[in-house]
Amino acid sequence: MKVALAGNPNSGKTTLFNAITGKIEHVGNWAGVTIEKKEGDIKKALNVTGVTMTAVDLPGAYSMSPFTSEESVTSEFVKNENPDVIINIVDATNLSRSLFFTTQLLELDIPVVVALNKSDLNKKKKTDIQVSQLSEILGCPVIETVSTSMSGNGLEKLISTVVEVKGQEQKAPFDAKNMDLSNKESVAASDKKRYEFIKEIIARVENKQIHSNRQTKQDAADRIIAHKWLGIPIFAAVMWVVFSISQTHLGPLLADVFVGWIDSFYGWVQGMLGVGASPVLSAILLDGIIGGVGAVVGFLPLIMVLFFLLALLEDCGYMARVAVVMDRFFKRVGLSGKSIIPMIIGTGCAIPGVMATRTIKNERQRRTTAMLTPFMPCGAKLPVIALFAGLFFNDAAWVGTLMYFIGIAIIILGALIVVRITGEKNKRSFFIMELPEYRFPSIKRATVSMLSRAKAFIIKASTIILLCNAIVQIMQTFNWQFQVVAEGAENTSILANIATPFAFLLIPLGFGVWQLAAAAITGFIAKENVVGTLAVVYSITNFIDTEELVLVSGGSDVAGIMGLTSVAALSYLIFNLFTPPCFAAIGAMNAEMENKKWLFGGVAFQFGMGYVASFFTYQIGTLITTGELGSGFLPGVILVTVMIGYVVTLVRKGDKIAEAKMAEAKMALSA
Amino acid sequence: MTDLVLAGVILFIVCLSIAKIIREKRKGVKCIGCPFAGCSKNDCSCDSLVQLK
Repeated sequence: MKVALAGNPNSGKTTLFNAITGKIEHVGNWAGVTIEKKEGDIKKALNVTGVTMTAVDLPGAYSMSPFTSEESVTSEFVKNENPDVIINIVDATNLSRSLFFTTQLLELDIPVVVALNKSDLNKKKKTDIQVSQLSEILGCPVIETVSTSMSGNGLEKLISTVVEVKGQEQKAPFDAKNMDLSNKESVAASDKKRYEFIKEIIARVENKQIHSNRQTKQDAADRIIAHKWLGIPIFAAVMWVVFSISQTHLGPLLADVFVGWIDSFYGWVQGMLGVGASPVLSAILLDGIIGGVGAVVGFLPLIMVLFFLLALLEDCGYMARVAVVMDRFFKRVGLSGKSIIPMIIGTGCAIPGVMATRTIKNERQRRTTAMLTPFMPCGAKLPVIALFAGLFFNDAAWVGTLMYFIGIAIIILGALIVVRITGEKNKRSFFIMELPEYRFPSIKRATVSMLSRAKAFIIKASTIILLCNAIVQIMQTFNWQFQVVAEGAENTSILANIATPFAFLLIPLGFGVWQLAAAAITGFIAKENVVGTLAVVYSITNFIDTEELVLVSGGSDVAGIMGLTSVAALSYLIFNLFTPPCFAAIGAMNAEMENKKWLFGGVAFQFGMGYVASFFTYQIGTLITTGELGSGFLPGVILVTVMIGYVVTLVRKGDKIAEAKMAEAKMALSA
Repeated sequence: MTDLVLAGVILFIVCLSIAKIIREKRKGVKCIGCPFAGCSKNDCSCDSLVQLK
């Protein structure tokens, strides 16, 4: 038995889907989180029939007429795949808007059960809906649900009603299915009649104590939080608090205990091996596998705290306000307002972020967004941020906050460059985003989100990162003749030989040593590898086995071994964060861009942007702190000038194309 | 003898990691450890997106 879950965006479809199937699909308190259908079997506890019931979570849609790619997924599924029953999730706090889609679903001759979701919010707002009367008018069962609640959520009743209505006939209260869809005027007239019909229903079944024309507390809050200027410092302050808790206070406190366990495990294995074991094999196991993986996993508590806080922010409705604040900047640089959604998703992982760009119709905007989304620091980059903030900046919260804002600034600058190069600087986009109501964030949802990401982090650390660290350790132990390199002659190792040519290019950025170059290279496999490789190449036994735990204090010892100044460390961090993402994310870019020229151009742009940002950070920072320019200034400035010069040439060419297009349009208008 | 056991342990750990990577890749997971890939072939976010394209 197939049950489709359909409803308006942000009506709670995925939350209900997760509640009835036990899945952990990503939910967000804003529209557009689901862009493709997802399937799952309904839990046996709710399904007493014994028949397998499969629920299909569909992207949000306002109507059966597909205006967006998400809506077309929904309407095509409902029309072509003949589900046995449709559960129409209706946002009880926004009944009048939701019923347009409901009345269209009722025309399809498929049994519909209305789940009147978010009923708890209505009670708080003193809005009363006459459920039985609504059911009578619509001609289908209406069940009140609270999908976020563990008990008394109406889900059992909903599923049993779904079973009951299977195969039953329902009469549509408003029937316009035989209308000629190609005739715009008749469609508009029919829609008008439908709205009037809905208005009548609302007048009969809904009793609101708060009228929509009165300014609510939420509106007042939005005037400040989503304000075009105030919104930015508020966002900065919020991110600073998030990083302060996760990287300075609570996170390191938990990490202190956690790295202690890893340290004990390391010591236990070391004791087991004793002095008789082969030094090469011991080094592979201890420094490569346990040390390298331990260095990355040691940051798990910080990341868990950060993801928990970000999930709370998303759930309470704040992230949707950030999208509104950023929208005005994005529109000015030729991006779609929809570009914000992939970028916010990209803060978790760049891959789903890049994939979410397919909801953008305009090809240039879609490709630009896919190219720029990886500039938002993703979850994999957080250990790198935490490591450098801890080692060089005393766990300062501003480091993480700054990285997010540098990411946003690069995105805006990048979009501006791309729109000029493509000769589309005169085009503007429009975006309307529905702002969800503020609500108290769910601790359960945030915990589930945090745990699922923690699990992902551990899986990644025990697979890709473990293998990489083992390989790095082997490459560092042997030379090309496969002889063990003598102590003090590490620069003859395979790893050093491969990384040294790259290290020369990095001298103008302040970190031209093969160890740091090697870590940056392995970062392209997975960004967490930067931390693991640094632990292996500097034999720091995972940043844990120092006299005092570095995550809490004593970081300067390790910083000294690396031989970096604070400015060079910041430059290195910027280079790792804003050069191309991991290969998997580049693969996702390739799939979404569908054009090799754009892909190679995008990756080259990411390299150039990371290099230039890193170069300026190091050289200007060194000039300010020491009064002198940093090493390799002259070759660096030549390289950067060539890069900027090439971009300027492309921009000028693009401007000429834009002018030609403008002149053509003017000619056409006057003609 | 100790070295033989040690080599075996290293080999076992490495094989376990490779096996996990192969299993995840067979599921169609783009990024190993993706939090939305733990379900099945049809309903992981990344995976279903790729299939439907």
